Amino acid sequence: MVVKAPAAKGSRGEAEERLLVAAAQKDPLRFGELYEIHFEQIYAYISRRVGSRETAEDLTSEVFRRALTNLTRFEWRGVPFVGWLFRIAANAIVDEAKRSSKEVSDLEDPEEIAVAEVDIADAIHRARLFRLVEELPADQRRVVVLRFAEGKSIRQIAGEIGRSEGAVKQLQFRGLQNLRSQVEKKPGGKNG
Amino acid sequence: MANVNVYEQLDEAVEAIITGASVAGSETARAGEDAHLVPLIGLAAALRDLPRQDFKARLKADLRRASMATLAEPVPAMGQVVAAYLTVKDAARAIEFYKQAFGAVEKGRLSMPTGEIGHAEIMIGGSTIMLSDEFPEHGGVSPETLGGSPMKMHLYVDDVDAFARRAVSAGAKITRPIADQFYGDRSGYIADPFGYTWIVATRGAMVSLEEIQKRLATMAARPERRQTGVNPVPKGYRTLTTYLVARDADGLIDFVKNVFGAEEKFRSVGSAGGRHAEVQLGDSMIMIGGGIPGGSWKGDPLPSAFHVYVSDCDAVYQRALDAGAASIQAPADQEYGERTAQVKDASGNFWYVATYKGENYKWAGAPDVQPYLHPLRAEPVIHFMKRAFGAQEMGRYTAPDGVVHHTTIKIGDSFMEMGEAQGVYQPMPTMFYLYVPNCDALYHRALGAGATSIAEPTDHDYGDRSGGVKDVFGNQWYIATHIKDM
Repeated sequence: MVVKAPAAKGSRGEAEERLLVAAAQKDPLRFGELYEIHFEQIYAYISRRVGSRETAEDLTSEVFRRALTNLTRFEWRGVPFVGWLFRIAANAIVDEAKRSSKEVSDLEDPEEIAVAEVDIADAIHRARLFRLVEELPADQRRVVVLRFAEGKSIRQIAGEIGRSEGAVKQLQFRGLQNLRSQVEKKPGGKNG
Repeated sequence: MANVNVYEQLDEAVEAIITGASVAGSETARAGEDAHLVPLIGLAAALRDLPRQDFKARLKADLRRASMATLAEPVPAMGQVVAAYLTVKDAARAIEFYKQAFGAVEKGRLSMPTGEIGHAEIMIGGSTIMLSDEFPEHGGVSPETLGGSPMKMHLYVDDVDAFARRAVSAGAKITRPIADQFYGDRSGYIADPFGYTWIVATRGAMVSLEEIQKRLATMAARPERRQTGVNPVPKGYRTLTTYLVARDADGLIDFVKNVFGAEEKFRSVGSAGGRHAEVQLGDSMIMIGGGIPGGSWKGDPLPSAFHVYVSDCDAVYQRALDAGAASIQAPADQEYGERTAQVKDASGNFWYVATYKGENYKWAGAPDVQPYLHPLRAEPVIHFMKRAFGAQEMGRYTAPDGVVHHTTIKIGDSFMEMGEAQGVYQPMPTMFYLYVPNCDALYHRALGAGATSIAEPTDHDYGDRSGGVKDVFGNQWYIATHIKDM
């Protein structure tokens, strides 16, 4: 299975994940714990493949809803839980492409939707980056979030946080620099 | 600063990424950029997809609601292609009865020249039921003629207790009381006047077939360990008992004894090194736990508020002050016919002391002690108690501004009062002990209503089988069945 290695690497221990999945299968209210662990990965995977933030949000919602509905059907067969989520995501993207009848490459046989290892590695890498943003110093985090997640201009941000445009640009620079040094540290810390 | 230009350069690249002018990943190929900016631009490209902060939280809340819905859908979706066909003596009267008793809607009827109903269809919930008068020559005979029917109808409804009450007032009989079942439903049997039995149910918690099988096995095994003929509610207890937790548990016990004349029934030290005591105050019990001098108990106090009827409000008020309580309101006559005072004891509990100005010191049927909750919003708490414990609301007083000032909730044979938080009266999550006939069923029903488990039901050496849940408002509910008299 293509998804096995990269997903198991860098995510939680399989035993722990098994327990979480089993708990959520018994009590759907515990699905939230699985959601917390995998949200960024699935969002990162989807957002790279769709045109807009709105679509990415819609599809991410759909993936977790489908996962919740079908959770009892998930079985451990060597595929980690996140691999299953990626499969659902890949299907959701294909369904969406059909709905909007956009042309999508590699779509000859939808039954054969495979999730490439490299795409998963990329999603996991970016998911880690998204989480590192939360650990930035508050003023840098605010600028990074407003700029990237909210898509605001430097001027808008300057107005919102009451700093000069030059200061905002500097905070943006420092934030990215900070993220870079965090990314280069070995994964496996708090979020690893 | 020589670096100013670097900030500008980086922002130009970021702007291009955000506006889509630059394709992610191709930034490294751009000429004229400071070499050490390249990795930062790469990061910026990856961050273009940074999720909006409120989205993650919003979706989580949506999923939580969705998972609660999968847990407890009072009427499960059931694609129906088979309809029951009932033969009755006097179909016209039966249709009227089903309308009155079950809220049925008549879809149509075909009358025979002789005046009998040859065929009729009614809808109950989303399901069609067909019926006709007796036509023995065509094999159509009613249960009344046959002397009974082996066939029962199963009916899922939103609120089985309310449904049964309505049916009974329309002339149905309850042949098996409405009760929580181990398989997650709350259900009972209703016999209609035409010889048919209806199993009416509201789905509580969704329980898997596997889990039901397991519970069945446990239930089959348990009677050996149980005494027969044990009342599930021990003598002297009501359905609901408030459990107060205080740092100085013994001080609180002395307070209720000295001020209210409560009678100590039981006092021990638990395994966690804390006090457990039970005192009787009038016709109700209060459980008290917490710290004792030199004990190893460590926990958080859980004070609450009570409405207590006493024969002499003024005397109790004075004794409370003498015992160290603070006055919240000195005794005064109220326009609703009670003389009341309010105090707060040293452990943080509020006591509304009242003497009813009637024949008795309390109005007919009132318990001596009622817990009084002050949630921020009453409605969701009441909704939870209805779904989890089959609570009934007895009457509500809502001010013109929408604030629920007072309402009474009945759980089993016990009452609780509630008024939305105001002034000194703010939410105090409280611990309750419930005695019910089947703690396992009620425990699972409470989980189905959105509570989280504190402890799964287990047999305890003090003669109760009990489990615990916590509701989203922070109240803890220990749900017990008394299984062995000690």
